[in-house]
Amino acid sequence: MTATSIIELEGVWKRYQSGTETLEALKDVNFAAEPGEFVAIMGPSGSGKSTMLNVLGLLDVPSEGVVRLDGSDVTDLSDEEMTTQRKDAIGFIFQDFFLIPTLSAIENVEVPTLFGRDPTARDRGVELLERVGLGERIEHRPDQLSGGQKQRVAIARALINEPRILLADEPTGNLDRKTGRDVLELFTELKVEEDVAVIAVTHDDQLRQYADRVVNLVDGVLTEEGRPDELTEEFGT
Amino acid sequence: MSALERLYRRIPALLMARRNLSRNRLRSGLAALGIIIGVLAIASLGMFGTTLRTGATEQLGDIGNEIQITPNAEEGFERLTDRDVADIRRVTDEGTVVPIRQRTATLTRGEDRTIATVYGIENPGALYEASDGQAPERLRQGALVGSSLAERLELQVGNRITLDNESFRVVGILEQQDGISLLNPNGAVIVPIESFDESGYSQVVVRSPSGTAANETAVAVREELNDREEKVTIFELGSITEGINQFFGILNAFLIGIGSISLVVAGVAILNVMLMSTIERRQEIGVLRAVGVQKLDVVKMILAEAGLLGFVGGFFGAILAVLAGLVLNQVVLSDPLLTFAPVNLMYIGLAVVFGIVTSVLSGLYPAWKAASERPVESLRK
Ligand SMILES: Nc1ncnc2c1ncn2[C@@H]1O[C@H](COP(=O)(O)OP(=O)(O)OP(=O)(O)O)[C@@H](O)[C@H]1O
Ligand SMILES: [Mg+2]
Repeated sequence: MTATSIIELEGVWKRYQSGTETLEALKDVNFAAEPGEFVAIMGPSGSGKSTMLNVLGLLDVPSEGVVRLDGSDVTDLSDEEMTTQRKDAIGFIFQDFFLIPTLSAIENVEVPTLFGRDPTARDRGVELLERVGLGERIEHRPDQLSGGQKQRVAIARALINEPRILLADEPTGNLDRKTGRDVLELFTELKVEEDVAVIAVTHDDQLRQYADRVVNLVDGVLTEEGRPDELTEEFGT
Repeated sequence: MSALERLYRRIPALLMARRNLSRNRLRSGLAALGIIIGVLAIASLGMFGTTLRTGATEQLGDIGNEIQITPNAEEGFERLTDRDVADIRRVTDEGTVVPIRQRTATLTRGEDRTIATVYGIENPGALYEASDGQAPERLRQGALVGSSLAERLELQVGNRITLDNESFRVVGILEQQDGISLLNPNGAVIVPIESFDESGYSQVVVRSPSGTAANETAVAVREELNDREEKVTIFELGSITEGINQFFGILNAFLIGIGSISLVVAGVAILNVMLMSTIERRQEIGVLRAVGVQKLDVVKMILAEAGLLGFVGGFFGAILAVLAGLVLNQVVLSDPLLTFAPVNLMYIGLAVVFGIVTSVLSGLYPAWKAASERPVESLRK
């Protein structure tokens, strides 16, 4: 794949062993995303989307194949190094927000910087919360926030360390259409203004319209859906 | 920014720990209560031992500082001679040598008659104090009367008493001797040694400034007088007090051991609580790990929680222990301030340190377990 890719999977397999059976969640997946690109991963339930996102996010290691971050092989890094890479380069937005209930909105946003003695973290966190429209809710605890607001706190948390890759698992799944659109606008802003690569798993057709590219994952096999213009090209010839 | 907030900024694990503990206050409180009880048990049992020892030492008085030298009747020696006394004086480095003659006499005072022990002592001031009148360094005339005898006969300084046929003026009433002593004067009369019409001495007491000095004197006297034959028997209580001290040392260790059991139980309770709470927070810990918090930081966070429980438990345990010590020392020794004796402060400090260490150790396994779970696993439901 191209040298400009920020994150890249090459021949990635993921197998789960349960008893005597082996389940292949990813089968020879090749994938790359460039900075400033918004990729949507679509596919039926159980097809391996979350598994793929976890491998991309250095949360999980492939059974076979190579993961490259910014051109360097990160497949066999130690847990500590992977954690550092996750912190520096990757922003995660989980389907269920996963906010920490005992911490306020701003503290949740600061969590990734919490153990790093980062003096500007608080200011960046406030700025991000203002940017996602929660400037008034900075000291609120998660149980005092609506689903959409929680999702926005989670997004702010993912952005606190200015990641180059933003991974989102069903970012709009729990949101109404309007809030979902706001989130997608924000993603678009990030990729355009800050050259962030956004990779989102979704069932949402609305998201599809914002994506530069859609890949389909069925039964662990990844296929490029192709851009609309490419499609016509293919069918045209 | 308040001091607490600054501290939290410096040690973020502490902030997380405090928040997590306040999540289930009852549970955290109960876990801390275990530590409180453990710390209280260790500290107060330690202090109890100190109180017992102090009480017993008061009872024993200066017994360890005295040795008693008596002629060995079995070998045919009935009296100690002036030469023996001179020898004893010569080998005694530190301390006062008090040669003593002894008999029983009929004491008459007006209508009252009683049988009393009479000691002839040249220098009773070396051994005793008077509560009334005085116990002179050189007793040349008159008699000193022991406290209980004086009380029984209602004797006062200036009264006259008759011992057998000889009349004495009472020049002093001796202080009550509480401790065990080789020569208990409470029921006796002390008269000038010259009033005995005999030579030689029935015993010699040596009072030294310390137990060690007494022991050295005993060794020296034994060497000097028992060189060729077993002329004298030397009775020293230093070894007994040493034994008693040793006994209290063992008793204290035993008491603290019992206290430690309660701390171990408290440690198990903390282990249980931390294990439960980390299992409940599995997903949260997974999120922390996923967004870039290192394994070691998670361990620190959970250890901080356990340490905080230990610290709070230790703090309140120490306060309760001081209160218990005040009551105990008031009741047993009538001096509550003895609670703040250095040994006791050491016990309290030791108990608090034990409490914190126990808590942190108990947090170790849950912390390690929670931190080493892979985030993908903990984020799956
Ligand atoms: N730790 C695991 N152990 C065993 N099997 C697993 C494990 N994780 C995932 N799988 C299996 O791998 C397959 C892919 O799972 P994955 O979670 O990636 O699906 P998904 O596409 O995200 O589905 P959904 O849309 O429902 O979230 C599923 O069949 C799942 O049961
Ligand atoms: Mg999924």
